[in-house]
Amino acid sequence: MLFSFRWLLLEYAVRSLFRRFGKNFFIFLILSFLIFILSSVLMIAESIKAELNATLKTLPDITLQRFVAGKQTQIPISRVDALLEIQGVGSVTPRIWGYYYFKPAGVNFSVVGLDIYEEPYSATMARLIKDVNWTQGSYDAMMIVGEGVKTILRENYYNDFFHFITPEGQTKKVGIAGVFHSDLALEANDLIVLPKRAAYEIFGMNASDATDIVLKVSANVSEIPTIVAKIIEKFPDLRVVTRDDIRVSYQNIFDYKSGFFLALFCVCAFAFFIIVYDKSNALSSEEKKEIGILKALGWDTDTVLQEKFFESFILSLGAFLFGLATALFYVYALQAPLLRAIFTGYSALKPPFDLPYTLSVSMIVLLFLLSVPVYIAATLIPAWRTSIVDADEVLR
Amino acid sequence: MIVVSNVSKIFTQAEERVQALSHVSLHVAQGECVLLKGASGSGKSTLLSLIAGLAQPTSGSIVVAGEEISKMPERLSAQMRRERIGFIFQKFHLIPYLSVQENVTTPLVPENLPLHVIAEKAKRAMERCRIAHKAHMSVHRLSGGEQQRTAIARALVHNPMIVLADEPTANLDRKLSLSLIEELRALKDEGVTLVVATHDPLFFDLDFVDQTIELHHGALRP
Repeated sequence: MLFSFRWLLLEYAVRSLFRRFGKNFFIFLILSFLIFILSSVLMIAESIKAELNATLKTLPDITLQRFVAGKQTQIPISRVDALLEIQGVGSVTPRIWGYYYFKPAGVNFSVVGLDIYEEPYSATMARLIKDVNWTQGSYDAMMIVGEGVKTILRENYYNDFFHFITPEGQTKKVGIAGVFHSDLALEANDLIVLPKRAAYEIFGMNASDATDIVLKVSANVSEIPTIVAKIIEKFPDLRVVTRDDIRVSYQNIFDYKSGFFLALFCVCAFAFFIIVYDKSNALSSEEKKEIGILKALGWDTDTVLQEKFFESFILSLGAFLFGLATALFYVYALQAPLLRAIFTGYSALKPPFDLPYTLSVSMIVLLFLLSVPVYIAATLIPAWRTSIVDADEVLR
Repeated sequence: MIVVSNVSKIFTQAEERVQALSHVSLHVAQGECVLLKGASGSGKSTLLSLIAGLAQPTSGSIVVAGEEISKMPERLSAQMRRERIGFIFQKFHLIPYLSVQENVTTPLVPENLPLHVIAEKAKRAMERCRIAHKAHMSVHRLSGGEQQRTAIARALVHNPMIVLADEPTANLDRKLSLSLIEELRALKDEGVTLVVATHDPLFFDLDFVDQTIELHHGALRP
């Protein structure tokens, strides 16, 4: 019996929504759009935050860079032995890396030199180059590339190899041994890993130098400040960058970009609350009259409010689900054109990467609470105000 | 069946007090037909609204079917309307864009009735009012007479023991008015208590009217 009652009331509510189709459809579109914008903003922010956190985990404990006349320059590899002597230092790896500008596509590739007998300086790198056959083909050297690099090279007719141009104007033909299949899109997408020898040639560097040196700490990480102090004492021309320094730097960039999103979020939230405020203040004369008629026909206030609840719930939940589904499609299928540029603008010269799927339940709950109950309340309050007035007065 | 005792009603509009009814008393026995006469603004509609529990009197009491509707909580007076009172409005007050059948079943929505029972009751009411052939037509496409028949079907769908009609012929031509009067006569023959507020002369000499009460500026004319 109870089911029958609710079903009839629900049916009445649905018919009521369709009776005022134009107005309700407009509200549905506005609500959906606002939820779409809010969801997209939060999804992009969550994705990039997750990406940055994942990247941070792979960073070395300490990175050493050499500065001469205020500019970064190469570090003699001969310093490795002296660094190993410092207590608490577990391993020291000189790195050869840099950016290679690929003019036809207008992008920078990150090029890293690595020898197969060398211990890779990060767990991620080890995972990335595992199972790669470095010796296949008949090229000068072989390289492994990120998905983004592979795509760009293919678009420029480099399917199996690539001709690097050295600073001396010579070409260096390097075969493509494989493609990274990493879930760390930001880290691996623009990456090229090749033997150190090839990297030295491409960058025109002396084989006794490194771009920088990375250290792993064998002792407790709380001793890192002591180790840093000892390094600076020994090599005053080195700049020491710890993982925490990089985390702060990333966080600053993220926070700065988040400001734009926060502004967008505020504008959407403000627009939504204006609609809600407007709706909560008054019903149309037609809606008021209908409540008066229903009360005159024997509906009590509870029944009227229940019907209005169904109406607003159907409309707001529909708009919420539609907005959320559209945002999912926009962010993860279309990769958030326009909005994403706000966040990733600093890496515009890098090949594009995919936003990783990081939808959280708490975010959906937050969006739901910000939209559906607020809209329902905004519908019920004026309906309640009208329904507690004598039906006779409403109908006059 | 209906006992109105010393009822007054004052409306406050823009800080101005309007005395709509002043010390009105009347008694309507079960199965009686009572005519409320009076010019526009004399308080006929207000008295009907108070009897139906659509508003509360400022003073006095109204007892309907043994229960004091004028002091009932809103939930109970709504239940009284759903179960015992049928109200025919002057302006029909149909819900636009709903079909005839949907309008007729609206008073039954809050009841815990199975769908087939509701459909059966609606069918009977529509057939009685000769509007069943337009059951699925939207009410805003109906003529004035058809809208009135729909409003009457809606008022009768729950077989009320009391029917209150407020200027039921105000928007009808003579032929339709006479048809409506016959419908009221049939209700009276079935034992339904009728209170009709009107200033239509067609009602004044009807043989089934038991009492005629005239209101003038909110008070009973002696």
